Amino acid sequence: MTNDVKIGQVATSAAPKSSKRKKIASLDRRKARAGWIFVLPFLIGFIVVYLPILFQSIQISFSQYTTEMVGGERVQVSSFVGFENYKQVILNYKQDGQIFTQVLLSGLGRLAFELPAILLFSLFMAVMLNQKMAGRALFRSIFFMPVIISTGVIELAMSNTAVTTMGADASVDAESGGVATEEDTANQIVQMADLQWLFANMSVGQGLVEYVLQLVNEIFTIVNRSGVQMLIFLAALQSVSPAIYESCKIDGATGWETFWKITFPMISPMILVNAIYTVIDSFTRETNPVMKYIAGAFSVSEAGVQLGKSYSTAMAWIYFLIVALIIALIAGVMSAFVFYGRKND
Amino acid sequence: MNTQNAENRPAVKKDTKKKIRVDFDRTPLKQRLKEKYLTFNFAKKVAVNIFRYVLMIGIAYVILRPLLFWFLDSIKSAVEFNGGYGDMILPQNVSFALYRAIFTEAKFFEALGNTFMLSLTVALLQMLVCCLIGYGFAKFKFRGRNLIFLLVMLTMIIPHQTLRASMDQQFRNFDILGIVRLFKGGGIEFFGWNVKSIGPGVAEFFENLNLLPDQIQVGLNASSVIEIRESGLLLTNTYLPLMIMSVTGLAFKNGLYIFLLRQFFRGIPDELEESAYMDGCGTFRTFFQVILPLSIPMMVTVFLFAFCWQWTDNFYVRYLVNSVADIDPTSRQLSQAYNQITGNSLPNSLQVIVSQTGKGLSVDAYTIPYKTTFALMTVAPLVILYAFCQNFLVQGIEHSGIAN
Repeated sequence: MTNDVKIGQVATSAAPKSSKRKKIASLDRRKARAGWIFVLPFLIGFIVVYLPILFQSIQISFSQYTTEMVGGERVQVSSFVGFENYKQVILNYKQDGQIFTQVLLSGLGRLAFELPAILLFSLFMAVMLNQKMAGRALFRSIFFMPVIISTGVIELAMSNTAVTTMGADASVDAESGGVATEEDTANQIVQMADLQWLFANMSVGQGLVEYVLQLVNEIFTIVNRSGVQMLIFLAALQSVSPAIYESCKIDGATGWETFWKITFPMISPMILVNAIYTVIDSFTRETNPVMKYIAGAFSVSEAGVQLGKSYSTAMAWIYFLIVALIIALIAGVMSAFVFYGRKND
Repeated sequence: MNTQNAENRPAVKKDTKKKIRVDFDRTPLKQRLKEKYLTFNFAKKVAVNIFRYVLMIGIAYVILRPLLFWFLDSIKSAVEFNGGYGDMILPQNVSFALYRAIFTEAKFFEALGNTFMLSLTVALLQMLVCCLIGYGFAKFKFRGRNLIFLLVMLTMIIPHQTLRASMDQQFRNFDILGIVRLFKGGGIEFFGWNVKSIGPGVAEFFENLNLLPDQIQVGLNASSVIEIRESGLLLTNTYLPLMIMSVTGLAFKNGLYIFLLRQFFRGIPDELEESAYMDGCGTFRTFFQVILPLSIPMMVTVFLFAFCWQWTDNFYVRYLVNSVADIDPTSRQLSQAYNQITGNSLPNSLQVIVSQTGKGLSVDAYTIPYKTTFALMTVAPLVILYAFCQNFLVQGIEHSGIAN
């Protein structure tokens, strides 16, 4: 009996209500604390390891290092030089007769070619691999192999040895200054099909023809770089509810319509993710010419001054700022077209 | 109407209790085949399938081609490289000299063992740490979550190659908040100002605080020594830089792993955790006993990425832990061993072969197949591992609900 009264009081009076709210808040706080603990490894690492590295890197880009003998010991002396390194890198520094901005521009041009190619190819392949067909598992496992294999030293080995793979042709090419790579082999295969003739009879722009030709020539690079993107697209395709496709079919939509009106909007967030990933991946690859250029500058020294360290760091920062700008641009432009099915918290 | 139906109705041949046999007047076979196969739809289907398989097989060939060629080159005899590298496609005389040289003279198995141990540790660490971080981002709301996630993305955007100089400096003089300096008698320093400059007494006090030894040995390898100096720990003789970066989720492409795992954990319904909490499970116990067993495909995926990318890694072992291999060749990694192959360092047995084969064959021409065979042997364990794990790879990504 007394219990009943108490319950009634709790339900009606205001004070216990606030205590109930307090309880929920404390659970929230506890969950927030748990969240902090989960991300703590990253946070500690970021503050203790990563920030000092970033800070030092900025410091290096603004100073010059000389090695001096002090009391029989080699000591590195740094001096602050302001924007001198940046100025030198942009205006004067040359490596193999090429200035940095030139390499940078050609690198950006390459990206403009690669980005749509990789995105289109990986989307296309993901759609193909998502369809039912004989040997799908086998094809899937072969297509995702480059993710695992053509990285690091193996990628280097592939690009190095490919130079000489085609024997006589390659040596001729090498003599004439061109570099024959795997792509050339693909090229040779494709030349049999005589694409140029095929396109000549179609009334499409010259630019598009050249683009497609380049695409075919560089199929090796593109295939090898679109593994992760393919995986992400495939996952996105699989997460589209079959019920939507079913209702489309009932309403009489063709496959083409279904793709553009259902599949494409549904996976558009992943197109954005893949675009950003592709930019990062192709910019940070060791085989990227700009990265090679920066790495090549590392050991330059002049009259006892270790210019290379400062120069390559300064270049790296210029490069990073441009990459960040491009990513922001892509994210800004593409997110206007991205369809979000449901808002995430 | 009725009569027409009756006419078209198939004639009943035999009528028993259980079965009816009906006599259709079937369309002739020729007609049927024609109806079935001579249609636009069927032609389209065939065309699409031919196109699809030609494309698929072509691309599969492009992917597998380098490996195939490396393999064919690896079993060619030296004579076949006479006119330079890669003249013929199929080997004329099979010879295993390259394999023999790699297995017996190049310290291949030592490097394989080292690489395996390093990749395994690094991959396990990265997998666990990224799981923790990804779970934190996926399931808990706390202030600054989005900002911290942005920082994770930032660490992915800045390539480590561009931070090479400062990373090298950092790990040569590794010190957390000046602790090493303090206990090495260096006092406390802020931006160039040292506590010791207050007075001689203070300086003496801090100099007496020299409690740390000059070196510590880590691991079984004699070469793995951490030197402790006033400016910090010298870690570049060990694999500790890699470990530190793995433990803190800063290593190669960890941002990608964190992103993938976050998306995966988001796909797991909250009710599961709520019921675990109801049953009195703590946050961490829920994570380890309820969530992780569900996430095995995704964890295997991340492990596979981390393992393979560490295995073929050409940057960290070269620039961050380069000294290890310099001191002790048996503690080399496969990628280091690969990079050190030149015409001069060709194994003796191969040098002998080159000199026996005579005029047509140069050392450089024979170094290339040696290198590619080495690369093939480097990648072979990965291919085997991949063959076993690729199911998980697709599964993990498929169930990740990545587009949610």
